[in-house]
Amino acid sequence: MSDIEQRDDTATDGVGDWAGNPYASRMVEYTPYAVALGMKFVSSSAGRGEILLPWREDLVGQDGTDILAPGVLTALIDHACGLAIMAGLGFEAAPATLDLRIDHMRPAAPRASVTCSAHVYRATRTIAFLRAEAWDVSPDDPVAAAQAAFTLNRRSVK
Amino acid sequence: MTAAADLDTILSSSPFARFLAIAAHADEHGVLATMPVRDQLVGNVMLPALHGGCVASFLEIACLLQVAHEVGTNAPARAINISVEYLRPARRETTYARAKIRRLGKRVAVVHAEAWQQDESKPVCLLQSHLRLPAGLASE
Repeated sequence: MSDIEQRDDTATDGVGDWAGNPYASRMVEYTPYAVALGMKFVSSSAGRGEILLPWREDLVGQDGTDILAPGVLTALIDHACGLAIMAGLGFEAAPATLDLRIDHMRPAAPRASVTCSAHVYRATRTIAFLRAEAWDVSPDDPVAAAQAAFTLNRRSVK
Repeated sequence: MTAAADLDTILSSSPFARFLAIAAHADEHGVLATMPVRDQLVGNVMLPALHGGCVASFLEIACLLQVAHEVGTNAPARAINISVEYLRPARRETTYARAKIRRLGKRVAVVHAEAWQQDESKPVCLLQSHLRLPAGLASE
């Protein structure tokens, strides 16, 4: 009934028995801003999503550094979170970002591409809570870590 | 240390700011930044709405510009962390932003920014950030 009670049946990784959405990659391939930044779908499963953002000269934050702008990572992280949700719930979940907090632990390496992996660690009927990390070389040495909450529309979802 | 920051120079030295086509000028309230709309910035085709990532990036850049303007340097500050709140969808329209420095320390600044579209009293997105200030300012 309440959101709190809903948490019980979504305890495993926050996504319960949501079926994986085989078309989730479309949200990377057809979203204009994701396409404009050159994001590439890597993988998804229920409540998880991973996207690669290849390095590109026009996405650098400061001339002469060859380092991707932090704002580019913000979009990548936000989109990976959306992918993680839609991969579990389908497109009808219509997730919208409520808030997003990002720690930039270190700059990415010059000319390095960045990958972001996001997962839903808890979901209620109306809210999904996510964590995400982004790295250039190894997931063990992230450039950024993030935590986010998204609103969901689950009226049409069990 | 007192040289005025040149907002156009700062923006044109950032490929990503150029990608977003951000413009800025200073008035008596500080820096007003503008991001023109274009189809590439759309994140939700159905609404349609701008991608949250591009609005947040725009606000990050607004924070950097305000710091540069107040501190009087073209050297960029660097984001340590950001926290973004999305209040309503950003429509396919020109977006504006202003940032306010809440605390200017020796090494770190706390900066809040907000973005709006037609109505400044109805912000679409708020951002708080901690920025590491460029080296060499501490002595000031």
